[in-house]
Amino acid sequence: MRRSRIYRSVGVVWLALTLAAIAYATRLALVVAPTEATMGNVQRIFYYHVPTSMLSLLFPYVNLVASLFYLYWRRRDPLRALAADAVAIAAAEVTVVYSSLCLLTGMLWGRAAWGIWWTWDARLTSMLLLWLLYVSYLMLRKLSSTGQTQTLAAVLSVFAAIDVPIVYMSIQWWRTQHPAPVFFGGPDSGIDPSMMPAFGWNVLGWAMWGVFLLMFRYALERRRQESEQEAALKAIEAPLEMAQ
Amino acid sequence: MRLSWIFGSSMEAHHLLAAYVAVWLVQGGYAAWIAWQWVRVGKELHPELSLNSEEDVES
Repeated sequence: MRRSRIYRSVGVVWLALTLAAIAYATRLALVVAPTEATMGNVQRIFYYHVPTSMLSLLFPYVNLVASLFYLYWRRRDPLRALAADAVAIAAAEVTVVYSSLCLLTGMLWGRAAWGIWWTWDARLTSMLLLWLLYVSYLMLRKLSSTGQTQTLAAVLSVFAAIDVPIVYMSIQWWRTQHPAPVFFGGPDSGIDPSMMPAFGWNVLGWAMWGVFLLMFRYALERRRQESEQEAALKAIEAPLEMAQ
Repeated sequence: MRLSWIFGSSMEAHHLLAAYVAVWLVQGGYAAWIAWQWVRVGKELHPELSLNSEEDVES
């Protein structure tokens, strides 16, 4: 069997398992999990908001590691560097998707729970900064025509990743409106054990979806690179053929 | 527990529904965009296969 067919089969099975996990997790979140005593049903946003937030702090590290590999390989092994660059752009896009949803679901929850859409506290502001950094990364890649775009983007990725621990620690470093992290957040953190299955399944489902998006976007970028290489080869060969 | 409350007229119901639908739309929209680009770039790369959905591109 050809390798592309094996990849495609694995992708289809992975997608089916992911969609099943998300459907089950959503049912647990909306139907099975108990209603929270203080906030009522709107607290169920938590089951989508927290997993997307956690994953929006994870994918920047995939982008960082891939960017570091790109910087290491760009002169030593250009073909490997191209693969690392494809992983980096895929991870940056997935980061923007997850951090956008983190901000959006957070604002919807905040309006209902706090009475405000937004406040400039350290957690929300550092998260917005993270989103802006990765949007800038993607705009740099889209708009720059210097010939050094991939290298510039890889360097930007190193700086952008510095914001991730700041986002995570912001709740402990500064007084914020945002509550403590669910895990490792000190004595006031944690959730009721009856909420754990819904939370755990949503983390699993959205993590599997994130991996699916990452691999699918990586495959697309590799296909684009192949297309660009083929177009460049044709551009070189065309004048030679005309001369013959 | 019935799910009818989620379609209620309270702000909490609206915001909960909006949050869940937004996540599905953004995630599904992004996946659909990748799929569309995948097909488009595939046609650029192998125009002879544009009429063939089997797309056996690897040799």
